[in-house]
Amino acid sequence: MKASKWLVVLTVAASLALGTGLALAADTIKVTAQQPLTGRFAFAGKHIHQGLMDSLGYANEQGGVGGRKFEYIYEDSGYDLQKAIASFKKAMAQYKPPMDYGESTGQGKALAPEINQRYHVLYGSTSFSAELADRKKNPYMFVSGPTYSQQFGILLKYIAAHPKKKGQAPTVAFFYSDTEFGRDPIPYAREMAKKLGIKVVAEEVTAVGAVDVTSQLLDLKRKNPDYCIFQGYVVPPIPAVIRGARDYGLKTTFMGSFWTTSKMLLDKLGKDGEGYMGVNPYAYWYHTEVPMIKIIQDYNKRHHKGVDYRPNSYMQGWFTGMIFVKLAQMCQAKGLPITGENLKNMIPQVKDWDTQGFTGKVSFKTTNATAVGRVFVGKGGKFVPASDWIYLDE
Amino acid sequence: MRIGDYKVSYAADEAVFRSGTVRFWLGALFVGLAVFPFLAGDYLLYMANLTGIAIVAAVGLNILTGAAGQISLGHAAFVGIGAYTAALLITRLGLPFLLCLPLAGLSAAFFGVIVGAPSMRMKGLYLCIATLAAQVIFEYVFKNWDGLTGGIRGINVPPPSILGFSLNNEFRFYFVTAPVVIIVVTAARNLFRTRVGRAFIAIRDRDFSAELMGISLFRYKLYAFALSSFLAGVAGCLWVNFIKIVTPEHFPLHESIRYLAMIIVGGLGSVLGSIFGAIFMTIVPEVLKSALNLVSAVSPKAMAFLSPLQTVVFGLLIVVFLVFEPHGLAEMWRRVKNYFRLWPFEH
Repeated sequence: MKASKWLVVLTVAASLALGTGLALAADTIKVTAQQPLTGRFAFAGKHIHQGLMDSLGYANEQGGVGGRKFEYIYEDSGYDLQKAIASFKKAMAQYKPPMDYGESTGQGKALAPEINQRYHVLYGSTSFSAELADRKKNPYMFVSGPTYSQQFGILLKYIAAHPKKKGQAPTVAFFYSDTEFGRDPIPYAREMAKKLGIKVVAEEVTAVGAVDVTSQLLDLKRKNPDYCIFQGYVVPPIPAVIRGARDYGLKTTFMGSFWTTSKMLLDKLGKDGEGYMGVNPYAYWYHTEVPMIKIIQDYNKRHHKGVDYRPNSYMQGWFTGMIFVKLAQMCQAKGLPITGENLKNMIPQVKDWDTQGFTGKVSFKTTNATAVGRVFVGKGGKFVPASDWIYLDE
Repeated sequence: MRIGDYKVSYAADEAVFRSGTVRFWLGALFVGLAVFPFLAGDYLLYMANLTGIAIVAAVGLNILTGAAGQISLGHAAFVGIGAYTAALLITRLGLPFLLCLPLAGLSAAFFGVIVGAPSMRMKGLYLCIATLAAQVIFEYVFKNWDGLTGGIRGINVPPPSILGFSLNNEFRFYFVTAPVVIIVVTAARNLFRTRVGRAFIAIRDRDFSAELMGISLFRYKLYAFALSSFLAGVAGCLWVNFIKIVTPEHFPLHESIRYLAMIIVGGLGSVLGSIFGAIFMTIVPEVLKSALNLVSAVSPKAMAFLSPLQTVVFGLLIVVFLVFEPHGLAEMWRRVKNYFRLWPFEH
């Protein structure tokens, strides 16, 4: 064959391949994501990303929604607001997706006006901020679990039900970092404690990775709270605080919210992890009695060789995927096209959704957050349930 | 090829646009800038706005560091002061956006003069540490003065408008950013043809000699700080109105270092250098990311592993540029221009 003929054949083949590719692409439900795969938040970002990707992959194995598969398109945004917005805008222009996943609270806040007025895209994110779960202000956004405030609410409800001294109001200390992440739930927590008859005896504030916590420890020793809740940390200074408190002979029960109810922290705590408590909206990897965890383990076995653990940040990504799929299924069931607008309208209609044990029964009642979680306690290096699912916004 | 380009007066030799060729290309650039928003999509326009804002801030720092020789590690804090001033003026007093631009600049300039005061007694590394202190102090204030700055949560700003016309997307905002950049760049270019600009350069080259020539070191150093922070403030005002939220997390120390990197990579003391540097630091990471996307189209799992490489490659690029061209991109550009000046008859 002459060179020119080859060229014709190649062109035809290429255009056919491209054509089928485009045809396939046109038929998918696109989910774009700005994932913090690098930067300060990468420790969780890479797991969240993997969880979301796997969750959509699993949905595709089940046949997608109405025969349409999910197409997950992600980009690293480096936990940098400007980069994340750039990536979001690029994704919107290029793919016009009905769903998007954002990397931070900041991104959600900055994009809120534009999502409401211009892009109309269903928006999930790594954030547990109460502001993003406010349905009136941000109807397109949802939080894949309880907000930090709701997590505190769940812990405080547990404390109210488990007073250490009979006939006396339980006492609690809040120990948080001087960041948005640390301060977010505190005003709500103060109010909630008052409502539940719990005395807030101390509030300790430190920098994020504080090393010297002596003055806070001395204060804790003086106030001797029954419970102490951490917020706004990942690991340090929690081990130092618990160690120090034990050295002072305090009997305080230490607790944490989502990020500090991780295996990573429990491993770092070692012996001090016994009896450490925390709130988590999802089941853990090793809770094999949970049907959804079985599915996750099975999926990992088939697709990721050598994986023997997935942290709760992975579970957050997985659950976000489940919400995306659920809302798309609801649209499909009502015969509505899967658009950001329709998906948004489905959020308040989610009622008593059974997630196969992955979390409690999910209803987005008054906020676009699930308001359900469970208190776990550290035992032998693992978190075991210390309560049933606790629901908040009845 | 340009021939017959003779100067017969000092004025002609000092002209900014020295020849027809320069004027032609400059005209082409303006036409390009005017047409660009109509051709580009949201993403490119967003990047263009960000780059424009970075140029304004970088020009400011280049006046202080490149021209007057005063190293500052607090530039991001001044951008922050501009951003907070604008956010407060808009949300609390309801002032119009256009009025906020100079006011944000003035507020930053005011603090710039205060921070610049120690430059009377300090130079070099010592001054550098003094500006670092300013960065830390302002960051602390942004974070902890809840009543004014909204603390950690910051301040949300509504989309700006000019005479009732809302600038609520990047297309419309471009028509504010681009003129501001042109005005700032023109002013900065002309600054170096005035007594003040030349005094800056004299101080940078040898402060003793400058003082002997009758230049008041203290006064001119303060001018440099004021001018530099004014432009930082203007950049901050643009930034907050574009991004629509300001929190203390947006102006950390490494942002100050990024601005320094911009002017070093671009070319110290050169306005064109500031422009190149700002473009380089804003656009190159995005280009690297796009390259990564191409890879991930072939192998979807690769991206998660390759993402951290972006930062490494970016750092390497900066080092390589500096090794091969210590005078920055502006110098490279000058050499390219010289090559083409008599092309194809260079000998």
